[in-house]
Amino acid sequence: MDDSPILAVTGLEAGVADGDLEILKGVDLAIRPGEIHAIMGPNGSGKSTLAKVIAGHPEYEATGGGVAFGGEDLLEMEPDERAQAGVFMAFQYPVEIPGVSIANFLRTALQSRLEDGEELDLFDFQELLMERMELLDMDLAFAQRPVNDGFSGGEKKRNEILQMAVLKPALAVMDETDSGLDIDALQVVARGVNALREENPEMSVLLITHYQRVLSHIVPDTVHVVVDGRIVESGGPEVALELEAQGYEEYRKAHAA
Amino acid sequence: MSQATAVREEVRRVIGRSAVMAAGAGDPAWLRARRSEAWDVFEATPLPSKRSEEWRYTDVARLLPLDGLVPNVGEAIAGRALPEGLRRAMAQDRESAGRIVDVDGAVVSVELDEALAAQGVVLASLRDAARAGVPEVEALLATEAVPAADGKFPALNAALWSDGVFLRVPRGVRVDRTIRLSRWVSQPGTATFTRILIVAEERSRLSFVDEILSPHFSTVTLANTAVELFSRGGAQVQYVSLQRMGEGGFYLANQRTLAERDSTLDTLNVALGGSVGRIDLNARLLGPGANSDMLGLYFGDTDQHFDFNTSQDHVAPHAHSDLLYKGALDGAARGVFRGIIRVHEGAQGTDAYQTNRNLILSDKAIATSLPNLEIEADDVRCSHGATVGQLDAEALFYLMSRGLRREQAERLVVMGFLGEVLSKLPLGGVVEKVTQAIEAKLRYV
Ligand SMILES: Nc1ncnc2c1ncn2[C@@H]1O[C@H](COP(=O)(O)OP(=O)(O)OP(=O)(O)O)[C@@H](O)[C@H]1O
Ligand SMILES: [Mg+2]
Repeated sequence: MDDSPILAVTGLEAGVADGDLEILKGVDLAIRPGEIHAIMGPNGSGKSTLAKVIAGHPEYEATGGGVAFGGEDLLEMEPDERAQAGVFMAFQYPVEIPGVSIANFLRTALQSRLEDGEELDLFDFQELLMERMELLDMDLAFAQRPVNDGFSGGEKKRNEILQMAVLKPALAVMDETDSGLDIDALQVVARGVNALREENPEMSVLLITHYQRVLSHIVPDTVHVVVDGRIVESGGPEVALELEAQGYEEYRKAHAA
Repeated sequence: MSQATAVREEVRRVIGRSAVMAAGAGDPAWLRARRSEAWDVFEATPLPSKRSEEWRYTDVARLLPLDGLVPNVGEAIAGRALPEGLRRAMAQDRESAGRIVDVDGAVVSVELDEALAAQGVVLASLRDAARAGVPEVEALLATEAVPAADGKFPALNAALWSDGVFLRVPRGVRVDRTIRLSRWVSQPGTATFTRILIVAEERSRLSFVDEILSPHFSTVTLANTAVELFSRGGAQVQYVSLQRMGEGGFYLANQRTLAERDSTLDTLNVALGGSVGRIDLNARLLGPGANSDMLGLYFGDTDQHFDFNTSQDHVAPHAHSDLLYKGALDGAARGVFRGIIRVHEGAQGTDAYQTNRNLILSDKAIATSLPNLEIEADDVRCSHGATVGQLDAEALFYLMSRGLRREQAERLVVMGFLGEVLSKLPLGGVVEKVTQAIEAKLRYV
């Protein structure tokens, strides 16, 4: 396996575009193909900001450092170019798109990956969609519902995983996908992620979570702790267990000192 | 051409009393008299001015050079092939129960399912029906629904109409497939006056799609339409207007729907084409249990100007009306919606709703929304609401983060926004047609 990272975040400083709020204060992170990294950290520490900067959310701006994806400067790319290159972010708060069905949305997303003039084979698409929905224990009628419109919290999260499963990214950034899921749904989501990794062992995952629970289903190679815009500790899965027991107080004190 | 004919040709080339005579040549006496009275009303009525509340945003004096327009008085292009653009639009249609084709204000063909004709359904050129002495035409043409007295343009239409549609569905007959009117205007600088008169007798059912198209014009070209819809007790009527004229087209319609006891009379106005579109729609709920769903959908770009003036008149108690007009505006387009719910004295138990939503896609586009209520009864449920919003940046990012290019993301959001209106349309066939028409237009955004 190639040892150069698929995602390399170096000294990343970022804040809200056209504002002086600094959120990320020098983040370093390297994820190699096939690795699973978990990020934990208190509310407001900058986890979602990191995810959104990677996905290219226009509201955030990198003010220092860089993000490389497969060797390319990710920060120079538009959000759609990043997606086409293989980046996927499962949103902490998925957005409602009234009147647009999940099936139509995904069809357009796959179509956008083809060369101009090439048409997506609708039969192949239906088959892929059905297969993915089965994998995730989803009712086929779900795909006809408008994207996230009137969905329960758990349904929104499942919809994120469905999109990921259809789009097959090289890097999946999952921002609290486990929050708000019941135990069965959590297992379904974990099954989806693990099945994708079986299909493509090189797929990498950056998993943002507050709970150790998910990490027993999706086992991380590395766990990072983010406090106030910085990674303050990185280690193996045991880090998550320690956090579960002790909370963030130690890190906060150490950081404040 | 003799000298006399040449002179006659000359005078009928402008909107004036001689054009009224020309339009009425061959008409029965009652109709000639009705045209002439309508012309008197037209002459006595001033052109609507921007000072009047209802015309505040559409300056007809400036936008519509009535004096320079050449009225179409109904010479059919007999035997000539249909224009390519019209044929293409017709080919997109799914199966129909009947169809009338109208080119430059003259009906060129009428087709109706034989089984329906045998059940007493009448679909005819309005001009032919008037001349054949069909009693409803004399009784209902420009009398109860869109009479000349309604205003300058209703009067002009009643005086100058050249042709149109008469459709009657007898008691209890259900026409499940759509009946269509396919219209084409070919001559720049002309004024075409068309009338549609539809009578759905007790417990009958019909759906009618009125589509108008034209090429682009470099000069203002008027298509004026009076639509008179009668839904008798327990009948179900659906009327769809699909306006897809080219640039330079000025579409001006007066529509009135009369819904009697326990009937439904639903309308959908789709405005996509033309340079100016003005629709005056008055829905009258005349009997308890009457229901009108009033849908509207517009998509403006370049400097297109759409103005909708709607009213929901609850004359009878315990009737229901629900209006939803949604539009997207791009370029320097302008959308105006003015709607009023009038609950008349004694109309207890009225349920009336009115919603207008606009999506603004560019800095130069403008939407004006003026919903209104006038309630003279108690024990009513009424609401009205209006919104003017922009594309949701968060939604666009969400879609782009899945790989959609910005234009694709915008298109999807707009389509979804407008799609709510189409999803409320009960009958199939129309939805595909309208969706295709909007998508065709979105492709150039
Ligand atoms: N668009 C914004 N405008 C202003 N402040 C923002 C914006 N986005 C984030 N912030 C602030 O930046 C900080 C980090 O936010 P972020 O959403 O990245 O936290 P998080 O670690 O994901 O928290 P949580 O665990 O609650 O999801 C917070 O204090 C938040 O209020
Ligand atoms: Mg967060």
